[in-house]
Amino acid sequence: MPSFDSITRNLMIDSLRNYAKRKLDYDFIREKDAANECPLDILREMYDPKVLGVHLVAIPKEYGGLGGGTFDLYRICEELARIDLGIATSVFATYLGIDPINVGGTLEQKKRFLSRIANERLMVAYGATEPDAGSDLVNLKTKAERVVENGKIVGYRITGLKQWISNGGIADLYTILALAPQGPSWFVVERNMEGFTPAHHEDKHGIRLSNTAGLSLDNVYVPFENLIGGVEGQGLSQAQAVFGYTRLMVAAFGLGCGWAALDTSIRYSQQRIQAGGPLSQKQGYMFKLIVPHAINLEAARCYIEYVAKRIDDGEHGLQTEGAIAKYFATESGNKAAEDSIQALGGYGYTRDFPVEKIKRDVKITCIYEGTNEIMEMTIYRGRWQEHLKTRGEYYMQMAKELEELSKKNNETGAYEASLALKALANILEECRINKLTRHQYVTFVLGRLISMAEHSYVFSKTAMSDKLSETVKFDLPTYRAMARVFAKNTALKIAIEGGSTVLGLNESSAKVLDKINLSEIEKRQYGILSDMEMISSSLVQVFKSK
Amino acid sequence: MGIEVLSNCIGCGKCVSVCPFEAISMVNKKAVIDLTKCTLCGSCVVVCPVKAIVIKREVSKKDFSEYKDVWVFVEFGDETDPLKQGEIKKVSFELLSKGRQLADKLKNKLCAVVLSYENKNYENILKDYGVDRIYLVEDKNLLPYDTEIYSSVVISLVNKYKPSVFLFPATYKGRDLAPRIASSLYVGLTADCTALDINSDGLLVQSRPAFGGNIMADILSPNSRPQMATVRPNVMKIEKNYRENLEVIKENIKINPSLRRVKILKRIKNPSSSSFKLENAEIIVSGGRGMKTKERFEVLFELAKLLDGCVGASRAAVDSGFIDKKHQVGQSGVTVNPRLYLAFGISGAIQHIVGMKNSDRIIAINKDPNAPIFGVSHYAVVGDAYEIAKKLIEKLKQSCK
Amino acid sequence: MKNIFVCIKQVPDSTEVKINPETGTLIRQGVPSILNPYDHFAVVWALKLKEKNPDFSVNVISMGPPQAKAVIQLALALGCDRGYLLSDVLFAGSDTWATSYALSMAIKKIAKPDLIICGMQAIDGDTAQVGPGIAAQLGIPQITFCEEIEIDGNKLVAKKHIDDGYDLVESILPCLVTMSMPKDFELPFPSFVDIANSVSKEITVYQAKDIGADENLIGLKGSPTQVSKIYPPSKDIKTVYIQGGTIEAVEKIIEIMRNENFIK
Repeated sequence: MPSFDSITRNLMIDSLRNYAKRKLDYDFIREKDAANECPLDILREMYDPKVLGVHLVAIPKEYGGLGGGTFDLYRICEELARIDLGIATSVFATYLGIDPINVGGTLEQKKRFLSRIANERLMVAYGATEPDAGSDLVNLKTKAERVVENGKIVGYRITGLKQWISNGGIADLYTILALAPQGPSWFVVERNMEGFTPAHHEDKHGIRLSNTAGLSLDNVYVPFENLIGGVEGQGLSQAQAVFGYTRLMVAAFGLGCGWAALDTSIRYSQQRIQAGGPLSQKQGYMFKLIVPHAINLEAARCYIEYVAKRIDDGEHGLQTEGAIAKYFATESGNKAAEDSIQALGGYGYTRDFPVEKIKRDVKITCIYEGTNEIMEMTIYRGRWQEHLKTRGEYYMQMAKELEELSKKNNETGAYEASLALKALANILEECRINKLTRHQYVTFVLGRLISMAEHSYVFSKTAMSDKLSETVKFDLPTYRAMARVFAKNTALKIAIEGGSTVLGLNESSAKVLDKINLSEIEKRQYGILSDMEMISSSLVQVFKSK
Repeated sequence: MGIEVLSNCIGCGKCVSVCPFEAISMVNKKAVIDLTKCTLCGSCVVVCPVKAIVIKREVSKKDFSEYKDVWVFVEFGDETDPLKQGEIKKVSFELLSKGRQLADKLKNKLCAVVLSYENKNYENILKDYGVDRIYLVEDKNLLPYDTEIYSSVVISLVNKYKPSVFLFPATYKGRDLAPRIASSLYVGLTADCTALDINSDGLLVQSRPAFGGNIMADILSPNSRPQMATVRPNVMKIEKNYRENLEVIKENIKINPSLRRVKILKRIKNPSSSSFKLENAEIIVSGGRGMKTKERFEVLFELAKLLDGCVGASRAAVDSGFIDKKHQVGQSGVTVNPRLYLAFGISGAIQHIVGMKNSDRIIAINKDPNAPIFGVSHYAVVGDAYEIAKKLIEKLKQSCK
Repeated sequence: MKNIFVCIKQVPDSTEVKINPETGTLIRQGVPSILNPYDHFAVVWALKLKEKNPDFSVNVISMGPPQAKAVIQLALALGCDRGYLLSDVLFAGSDTWATSYALSMAIKKIAKPDLIICGMQAIDGDTAQVGPGIAAQLGIPQITFCEEIEIDGNKLVAKKHIDDGYDLVESILPCLVTMSMPKDFELPFPSFVDIANSVSKEITVYQAKDIGADENLIGLKGSPTQVSKIYPPSKDIKTVYIQGGTIEAVEKIIEIMRNENFIK
């Protein structure tokens, strides 16, 4: 589904921001966070079409929604995360809960449920995870037993337990994954159905404004019409189908939280005067705690937008791309938040300043919607197939493309990125030849390196354009410097981490270092510090303290 | 009139980020200026390291030799108060003082424009302020003020006597009247000038802040007369200048009452005890934990009264129970930008500084020589805040007598 | 049926504008653009009038570059009926007079105005001149610095600021008002639904020739005022330590206050 035009989308983001300024100021959020309270009134108000109608962007127009595209949802999710990740998670849970209906529902079911959700402003929850089935969803135990009358299936009785369900205690409608005789299937369960009991609101490390609760289903009867798609066993493929875009939303969360934290530290650094000057003028501080995170977050943003546009243009099956985005953005967001506490020192460690909360919140993004270890595996599996299918040419092609482009314009680190991609291709080949991927650890490392390499490819390529995305706050020279530094860092990391992993397992792989071209990569590191200096000044200008 | 990038441009790009109107971009390592966005403000000229950008300004071909003299619109106070409505407002004297300086530079006369329902021998007051001539219009239709009546009167004076410069106070009245007149005459008007001067071409240079006070701009009106400007109260200094020969020209302008199309139904005067306005205060006397006790903190109220200012406080003072939260200045209090901020016994935590560092003048008193507040103060006194406050009160009371 | 015009402007959020510490000049990088808050307030009042009189037609008009469509769409999402953007290379560099001229010509072309509502000033220029400028050029009465307005038959009643209080005034229509926003006023923002619906409302883009504007009276050419220089306000603070004991310090403080006009 195509996204709204830029002006329309940005008006929505402005309205969201303005609502938060009025109703969700920092003191309010702090209070709720300390009390572990979900602000249900605020959440319900956000669904009010006269106030915002935030749930409507995920519902197609024909069912009473506004029909937003992936780019719109990414921007809204990022903005929600900047406001509070708990609120963001709750809104996202509705989007997620709607997905199985959107993707797998019959026309009649879409009409029935989506219109109700749109018009009655229902909150939805996505009930998949169980106490013993998280990453390993195939192991689910919740059962759906057929209820047969006169030889026809009239309904199901669902029994089981669900765990960690966002909006678990407050939703009106639940999409529950249960094991029917023909396989895992999605069922729509209503809150007031007999036998359905949400458990207490969990006491969590972060996202404490998000209601998280277990669910207990004790022979809950649902009519046949509530089996999504009307056919058993479609559950996992229906879930899989949306991973491309749901993972992108969580990536947006990582990005939003990361920038919320970094924004705070950059402004703080200008006000905090120690040893005769503001911290923002101290190279050691800026280059360690600020600049690398800004670069990574811009790389993450660039990649998210690249995938979002592809989905909006109609492409399907971008689950691996979604995993790459989710993995990198959430890891970057976490690191940025962690270093933001450090950047604010003692102040950062107190609740008066927002960074410790952001750090507590953003951790969940490495866990939900697929743990980052699962992401590493997923990335590896998806791309390993490509490597095999193309006989090792997959990354070599990308490298050659960037090498050509770099001849016309090497301001964006395209050449260094091509070195990174070539190194990766060689490492993958070395793994194949020596069957190193039978060691699970190697597959995780490869997933990590693939993620960085593909980010660098997109970043260096995108930065060649003269026109920057509407979301980029930096000028062209700064943006290109970021792409350059990222490419150099990526090349070095892949060469060293990839190389050492391979060498750790296989003595005869010593020649891989030549193939990786480590010496060329090392030479190309020149210029990183002066680029970081430029980026540092730019950050201080864009995020000027008041 | 135009702007040009010369061939010695080195493509450094400094001009690009400096342009307030995003009119410059780099094409093939050379600066290119988008003429649809450029306003010839000159920011890029200043910043170019090789002086590659040149602005050519058109020299006026019009003959303005007929236009002479500096005029100042004299404003009267408080129409709501029958006792005050004939009183000349302080801002008029401020403008006349400045007008005198400008008139001297132009070697012209300073003229006061007085529109009044009744002449109260204003010449006796105005001769102390360097006024050479008064243009007086006396008519009952001039009370109360009406935009279109005043506008038509002033325009006929302007058309008859042709001033070169015309200053108005930037009060509600002045900001209602001046733009109406300027638009009808098709002349340049610059609002809220913080400085005025005459340049080497004999033109009025009108300086004012822009972009929320982040930059200063110098404005010229080379191709129209009079050159009009408005100035806010409390900006220009009053300077007395006695003039022996003050000429009064009484203009009998027939005012058509039907020009008054806006009727005043009711006049509501501001209550004398106006609500607490810390945010709008011009002078703030602020105290922190360094005042030590509630009783000692209270001397600041006396000091504030003497200076006709408001009392502010740091969060520490509020938390210590010295004063009510509504006086709190800072991140979780109120942001202020007074002309004078006196900080007594305030250490200067970031949260406080953020709320007051835009003050025009900051004087801080603190016993600790390393107090962070000194980092944003114009004047620093290392000493006992309470003692200094008390002494200040004593000295100020003495000089008032 | 009455035709109400609201004049709005897209401005940089001046609370976010920054200065380059080296050159002391403006940096526009990453500064968001917003609807001038006083104009936003003006839109609120136009819509309040429309609420009481649903047959009123509210036209929102702005002069600006193509990006200014964003603030027109915001006004439409808030409830205005039709939007007009005056956008033309020839308008570039207009000062307040040239802007008033262009807006007046456009209003004359679009419809006979019954009421024109402007925000009192724009937060980038801070001049408060365009409103009265339009009123002067159209030859209609003006009521400036209004906090509240109401239409009563064929008259407008307004509560406006004067220097020592307020006036409750009445004017015939057509007239022009400029709105002064109270400090704590919470400006409303449209819901996602209103924003999505605003996409279908009409925005007409006019060039100089469409409104019959004389080329000599618009843009830099038509502007009587010119910017001759832009520079930083004042240098960084160089703290001066006042020496001496209590008495000397107090005397010095009083001297400073006297010199700078804080006391007589």
